[in-house]
Amino acid sequence: METQTARLRLCDLQLAQGSRTVLEHINGEFRDGAITALIGANGTGKSTLIQGIMGMLKPIAGRVECQVPKERRAWLPQQLALDLTFPMSVEELVMTGSWPSHGAFKGYCAAHYRKGREIMARLGISHLAHRPLGELSGGQRQRALIGRTLMQEAELLLLDEPFANVDSDTVEVLMTVLRDMARDGATIIVVLHDMEQLSRLTSEAIVLAGGHARWVPVESFLQQPIADSPAPFLTHAITGVGTC
Amino acid sequence: MLTLLNEWLIAPFDYGFMRRALIASFALSLAAPPMGVFLVLRGMSLIGDAMAHAILPGVALGFLVAGFSLPMMSLGGILSGLLVAVLAGSVSQMSGQREDAAMASFFLISLAAGVMIISLGGSSVDLTHVLFGSILAVNSTSLLLIAAISSLIVITLAVIFRALVVECLDPLFLRGQGVRGSIAHGVFLGLVVLNLTAGFQTLGTLMAVGLMMLPATAARFWSKRLEGLIAVAIGIALVASTGGLLLSYHFNIPSGPAIILLAGVGYVFSALFGSQHSLLRRLRRHAAPLGAPEPH
Repeated sequence: METQTARLRLCDLQLAQGSRTVLEHINGEFRDGAITALIGANGTGKSTLIQGIMGMLKPIAGRVECQVPKERRAWLPQQLALDLTFPMSVEELVMTGSWPSHGAFKGYCAAHYRKGREIMARLGISHLAHRPLGELSGGQRQRALIGRTLMQEAELLLLDEPFANVDSDTVEVLMTVLRDMARDGATIIVVLHDMEQLSRLTSEAIVLAGGHARWVPVESFLQQPIADSPAPFLTHAITGVGTC
Repeated sequence: MLTLLNEWLIAPFDYGFMRRALIASFALSLAAPPMGVFLVLRGMSLIGDAMAHAILPGVALGFLVAGFSLPMMSLGGILSGLLVAVLAGSVSQMSGQREDAAMASFFLISLAAGVMIISLGGSSVDLTHVLFGSILAVNSTSLLLIAAISSLIVITLAVIFRALVVECLDPLFLRGQGVRGSIAHGVFLGLVVLNLTAGFQTLGTLMAVGLMMLPATAARFWSKRLEGLIAVAIGIALVASTGGLLLSYHFNIPSGPAIILLAGVGYVFSALFGSQHSLLRRLRRHAAPLGAPEPH
């Protein structure tokens, strides 16, 4: 496992929101093709860490070493910046994912449209191709957005609560797609609260608490009765901090 | 019957000034509505109005320096419009005040300054002329300028189209791609200023924004697609400008307000009878049965 490459490393990272330090001394790496869950109570810095990794929040100290090119990183935040009233169809949204290869000017060719249709078929949204974004359900919208990241050929994917307000069929489809993406070498980091979904999706997790982060195997805390009150366990799990 | 049609619709354009006016308003009708569509989609419908006021001091200064010279007045308008846009943007960024608040402050200052400058150098006739335009006084130089600016707008809009769409839809996605969406946004605001300066000669600084916004807001009642919105908006603008010119000719009324009022009629008609979200649609709702094929 150690022989595998890791294109994303955090080295003694310190992140702050305004003048308040949220996370410090974060060290660790994310192997290519690994799905890592990010867990922690509200306000422990999950979104801050994601922003730091995406390069949208400048570190106070330390650094994020990411060898994945910027245009192959994708972030699906829980609070979408997506304007749902914009007159755009599902297919058009998926096609905007071809920005890395096509940029602002290059026209889409037939092969590209074909790729878009294959992606929609894979996500089970072919029948929605021409439906406006505003008329989609939460699950359909999430599938379309994952479609965009597939079109983007994302190699680093950060998801914030991707299964919130989503029906169980969609959860299954999305989990399959995420596992496929990981198998193809993508690094995936996913914020999850549901322990059952977590255990099905991944075997590794980062626990955030008290401004620190710790990498732990998922089974180590699934055996404990933490589902109801994870806080004491998380605090316990955080006591050791690795080095870069 | 044919004679009557000819007399009402064709004969007026035997006059050179009417032909020039028609071509000028066609050029504006092709360039302005797409900008309006994007302004509406971005929730910036009132920015056009603010910008229309912002170009006034520059237009007035150009007027003071060179008299009624369209190139000088346009240059002044473009400069003061861009200046206000940049100032409002930077004030809101530095102070954390919302951009619309900064914009509102600056456009009020601009309007007052513009009216003051014109009053210093001219008469109230000049003021009316600048504020409300006179499409029937378009000469060949003005026509060239209007056509050139409109062409530039259409071409630039085509170039930045995808960036603008993606930025409107999901600014975060574009930022993640390492693209500064603010560039597309800035270029777009620049185009709005250009468009208003092209329009002020014919429609006046205060009316020019009407040809931008009214067709765009009306189009919302006819289409759910971006291309549809733009096409319908251009169509409404073309009809309104032709109709407005003819009304202005036959009934001896000012052309700018006639054109904008016709566009306004288009808006009210669309709101009542349009195919999307209109009053009529709300009263007579129906939906395709389950299992029916998706409309394309």
